[in-house]
Amino acid sequence: MSISNNIDPSPSLTTDDLLNTSLAKNIKVIQNTLGHSNDIIIREITIGEAEPHRLAIISIDGLSDKTTISDSVIGKLMANIEEEQEIEITTINQYVRSSYLTVGDVMNIEHFTPLYHAILNGETVILLDGFAEGIVTSTKSAKDRAVAEPSTESVIRGPRESFTETLRTNTALIRRKIKSPNLWIKSRVIGEVTQTDVAVMYINGIASDKIVAEVLARLDRINIDGILESGYIEDFIQDSKNSMFPTIYNSERPDVIAGELLDGKVAILVDGTPFVLVVPALFTSFLQSAEDYYQHWIISSLIRILRFFGISLALVAPSLYVAITTFHQEMLPTPMLISIASQREGVPFPAVVEALIMELAFEILREAGLRMPRTIGPAVSIVGTLVIGQAAVDAGVVSAVMVIIVALTAICSFLFPAYGLSNTIRVLRFPLMIFAAMFGLFGVMFGIIIIILHLCSIRSFGVPYLSPFAPFIIQDQKDAFLLLPRRGLLKRPRLVNQKNVVRGHKYVVRTGRK
Amino acid sequence: MAKVKAICFLCILTLLLSGCWSKRELNELAIVVALGIDKVEDEFEITVQIVDPSEVSMRQASTQRSPVISYHSRGETIFEAIRKMTNLAARKPYFAHLQVVVLGEDLAKEGISDSLDLIVRDHEFRKDFDVIMSHEATAKEVLNVLTPIEKVPANKILNSLTVSEKVWGSTIAVNIDELVSTLSNKERGALISAIEVHGDKRLGIDQTNVQRVKTPVFLNYAGLAVFKEDKFVGLLSEGESKSVSFLSDKIQSTIEIVACPKQGTLSTEITSSTTKVKGSFQNGKPKIDVQINVEQNVGEVECEINLSKNKTIDYINKKTAQGIEERIEKTLEKIQQQYQVDVLGYGDALHRADAKQWKKIKKDWATIFPDLPIHVHVKVTTQGLGTMQNSLLKKPKEG
Repeated sequence: MSISNNIDPSPSLTTDDLLNTSLAKNIKVIQNTLGHSNDIIIREITIGEAEPHRLAIISIDGLSDKTTISDSVIGKLMANIEEEQEIEITTINQYVRSSYLTVGDVMNIEHFTPLYHAILNGETVILLDGFAEGIVTSTKSAKDRAVAEPSTESVIRGPRESFTETLRTNTALIRRKIKSPNLWIKSRVIGEVTQTDVAVMYINGIASDKIVAEVLARLDRINIDGILESGYIEDFIQDSKNSMFPTIYNSERPDVIAGELLDGKVAILVDGTPFVLVVPALFTSFLQSAEDYYQHWIISSLIRILRFFGISLALVAPSLYVAITTFHQEMLPTPMLISIASQREGVPFPAVVEALIMELAFEILREAGLRMPRTIGPAVSIVGTLVIGQAAVDAGVVSAVMVIIVALTAICSFLFPAYGLSNTIRVLRFPLMIFAAMFGLFGVMFGIIIIILHLCSIRSFGVPYLSPFAPFIIQDQKDAFLLLPRRGLLKRPRLVNQKNVVRGHKYVVRTGRK
Repeated sequence: MAKVKAICFLCILTLLLSGCWSKRELNELAIVVALGIDKVEDEFEITVQIVDPSEVSMRQASTQRSPVISYHSRGETIFEAIRKMTNLAARKPYFAHLQVVVLGEDLAKEGISDSLDLIVRDHEFRKDFDVIMSHEATAKEVLNVLTPIEKVPANKILNSLTVSEKVWGSTIAVNIDELVSTLSNKERGALISAIEVHGDKRLGIDQTNVQRVKTPVFLNYAGLAVFKEDKFVGLLSEGESKSVSFLSDKIQSTIEIVACPKQGTLSTEITSSTTKVKGSFQNGKPKIDVQINVEQNVGEVECEINLSKNKTIDYINKKTAQGIEERIEKTLEKIQQQYQVDVLGYGDALHRADAKQWKKIKKDWATIFPDLPIHVHVKVTTQGLGTMQNSLLKKPKEG
């Protein structure tokens, strides 16, 4: 594990911040600054017999790895230096650093700020009496959740790993997929108080320099006390802050992120969350699943069409029902009209109220099921099915068709590979229903046109959100609505990526015949 | 900024204030599936057949209520009568799902143009419904018969019409647009299917009518009604109607009966029939040639005949063609001599053939038509014999 990314030894620090030569003074400052918190371990030891040197080993309990500290730091220092007799006082600092510490990563610091940052990150700092500098040794504890199966994006076929809350594990997971020296990481520490590590990952030479620069610039402009999840970052850096459509993609699957990086996109990893952001994000990315690329292209294409159909249905099904049954009864085939009319007999509400009630009831149930402890979850669904499914129809409060519509909408909204877009569609359903209730199909069309105009107007890091549909790019249709076989995917998307577009070359089948 | 806010506010107001004005909930509608128009004492009497949705739908248990309700009202105009109907109907009649319009015979005799005006003019009517005429009954009587299987009588009326057009050929489904365009052509006469009520007309209204194995009162298509201008002049029988279907290229499938050489009969199934009408002028005199190409399969053999021989097939072809031709000629004679209306649109054929000559005779078309030479030629080909060759009657010689 590297520490160089986390600690910025830049000399912007003031002279007040400089370490003192006196160890006792340094320790005092540190204890005062950290408020004498009892999880700070300051171990003072003396090394060397002839010329005893006092030194302090400072770390935070729980963050640093105790075994490493005792074996590789304290143990080595105490065991060896006793025997050495001729160490000159001026070089002991160098000596400790180069000859005794058996940890992987060591660094010198001269200021308090990086010292705090280091120990708060789980590193151990060694301060020697008489030297105005400290030695940072990497002892970060590996207390970390194991890499588990992704819980939000599951696939039948594909890797079973997902990101964890630890930034380093996450970068390693990506590096393990892309073993190129061109996979670069740029780090930032964001959050005045939380000092959260944020890493920007991209493949140099494939990702557009402009986008990388823009991402870094936008990250640098963030000025806030804390970043607790990548959602904070997302909200700060996205292009259109008021748009309900997500313009930043997120995933907890390393293979998805690796694929996006290969497309020339830029990933933003935030310590403390398994959700990695990807920019620029296009509308189509939210309708694509990792698994699309792992199975036959015809099947994937059909599934994508199904998804597109699903999103449309999730968006307009209730409003179409309201519009057709209250304004355009002539559009229904007669037997269907009679059947729906018979179910609406005796229902006390107008269709739109009925639709709103049912959709609201479903949203409530869904939210309740989500927030409940897992053991109570089934109870919620039983009550939900019985109350809104059966009893409401039997009691004649709502019609059976309405229940079908709500169920259909609900299931369609579960069809999205990306949860973010699903929420947007969920919300947009309601204004569409109101439009439908006021103007019928005309209103629904009006609503859809507004949505499409909005989609056309937003961009994600300079790339039009609806590309490759608007603007229409014929070359990129290969991986948008449809998915061509791999031999057709030899070029990277055009708007995201303008240099190094060639992904691979034609695969020649050698039959072995002469 | 204030301006933008004001504009937004106004937009929202326009949305909210104008909203819902034409909204109709499904349970506020009376779905009309059939409309009957009769003429009684200088007034129109209209009959609407309205579906009771909960009675028709499969889900709810039958409550002994009739699946349809008919309302009657009279008025000087049809529009008036329809609006007057709200006095007795629970809901406002909704005509977009109208399946069929039944014109009463008395009305048909006086002329149907006036009664169709509202139906064509009003936007609520969808203009995809068929028009039929009630024969020897009023439209009211036709619409007051409950039918088995199809709970909604209008559906039964429509289904019989289209099914028999498809597989038998004695009816022609004419929708309102076709009828109106035919009526607006002065040289042409219209043809619409005619329906009859069999049994005691007063009993059809009762639910018992559909509770028996054999329904005492039932509806049956009688043939085609011939209209001269817009007045009903006479009815073509079932056989004649079939001939008309042949002539107007409407046959999709039907059955022909052929006499066997010795005794007994054989029936063939017509599988396709294409009719080509060619008008021409010879020395200023109009002439019509009709070529009908028929394809058929042998359907039923009730005589001793050897179907494995080409000769036999030729015989069947010839006989079928002869039979069709004879019938068509008789029908044509009836149309030309008795009714004297060009229901088949031969005037149009002549117009297409030679517009200049047609203009000269257009005025006298009514007098020319009865003597118009029409040559009909039928060509029949047999394609299949069914799943066996010879009849069961013709036993193979056992050795």
